[in-house]
Amino acid sequence: MDFRWDVVWNALPQMVDGAQLTAQITLLGIGGGLLIGTLCGLITAFRVPVLHWLVFVYVSVIRGTPIVVQAMFIYFALPLAMDITLSGFAAASLCLALNAGAYITEIVRGAVQSIDKGLQDAGLALGLSYPQVLLSIVGPLAFRRTIPPLGNQFIISLKDSALFLVIGVAELAQRGEQLTAQTGRALEIWTAVAVFYLIMTFILAMIMRLIERRMRIL
Amino acid sequence: MSRLIACRNLSKRFGTTEVLRDINLEVHPGEVVVIVGPSGSGKSTLLRCLNVLEPISDGELEVGGKRLGDRGTRKRDIRRETGMVFQQFNLFPHMTARDNVMLGPRKVRGQSRREAGELADRLLNRVGLADRSHHYPSELSGGQQQRVAIARALAVNPRVMLFDEPTSALDPELRGEVLQVMQGLAADGMTMLIVTHEMRFAADVASRLIFMDEGRILHDGNPKTLFQDPPSDRFRDFLRHVQS
Repeated sequence: MDFRWDVVWNALPQMVDGAQLTAQITLLGIGGGLLIGTLCGLITAFRVPVLHWLVFVYVSVIRGTPIVVQAMFIYFALPLAMDITLSGFAAASLCLALNAGAYITEIVRGAVQSIDKGLQDAGLALGLSYPQVLLSIVGPLAFRRTIPPLGNQFIISLKDSALFLVIGVAELAQRGEQLTAQTGRALEIWTAVAVFYLIMTFILAMIMRLIERRMRIL
Repeated sequence: MSRLIACRNLSKRFGTTEVLRDINLEVHPGEVVVIVGPSGSGKSTLLRCLNVLEPISDGELEVGGKRLGDRGTRKRDIRRETGMVFQQFNLFPHMTARDNVMLGPRKVRGQSRREAGELADRLLNRVGLADRSHHYPSELSGGQQQRVAIARALAVNPRVMLFDEPTSALDPELRGEVLQVMQGLAADGMTMLIVTHEMRFAADVASRLIFMDEGRILHDGNPKTLFQDPPSDRFRDFLRHVQS
């Protein structure tokens, strides 16, 4: 079987569109996930009364169910249950943010808890207030430790966005499916789709590597 | 108001274990108090209670005229009167030696970058590390790290220095440089409480020796007298163990 480059060439504009949508969903997803995860991670690390139980339930539910089911739930079930209707794009971004948020919660909690208690003691012994200790010592150190696992999570989130083809969002994977149906050339289309994903995850990995190098992990 | 530290019937419990029982202690300006005792006797916990890193379970604590529990006295106010040096140094790994020393003056005393920087340079010079000020802790030897830690503790201008086994994590050949800095501080009249196993240092530098056992102060007196004529079998046993 020969590889028809012209199929790839003709599909390119649509794939670029799909890749753009994938990038947008991913950026919103990891941005939202960072916000949720940082907040929830701090809540669990410091065992904020009551709230840390809510976070525990949230993390358990997200980690305990497949992301496809979460996407289906948000897109199809939420309108029935609570009269909230979201566009495919909004549902996908929200789903990814909630999903990444749960995992980032654990990353942040782990990073904060891994900071040597002795450093906190040293800060307090100097006469710093607890918020000052968090801001000047625990925070910067914990932040550095989140970077490698965050890079991992970002790449997982980017790839997970392919699942949103189940709710008809025209991201990269969904374009792949459509284009295959139109052209009947599965080999060319899925190879090209894979290369697109590879490029995007590679860029993400490079960015994380750069941040990591600029900031020595301690 | 001649005493810097006063505790009355200070007790500390972790759950049901009593770590400190009815500690009565007064420390006056210029005293160099060395605290010795078997592990688990409560020496370190006592130091940590004196600057409220551990909340006390019972009794009264007064440091530099500030009484714990008094209206308007925060834990922080007591901690500002004390400087602490830890067994594991606990330098902030993301800051250079200079930044480690500057943090206290800047955040606690509200000094400007320049003031704090000048103070840090002076203190690093005093501990013999002027040429290491831009190194990170990971680039320093254990002895150097501990000397930076001493400079950091001095930077907030404490009235009492607390040393929690400052040489226990160091190789024997690195202990001397730290002990020398401490000896210099003592000679300058700094009030110090030192938990250590360095009996030579205790005999040479301490103005007062405290022997703790099972959470109590068993002996409290002149180091020379206590070393020469141990008043109890418990202390005699302890000395035999550490000296062998």
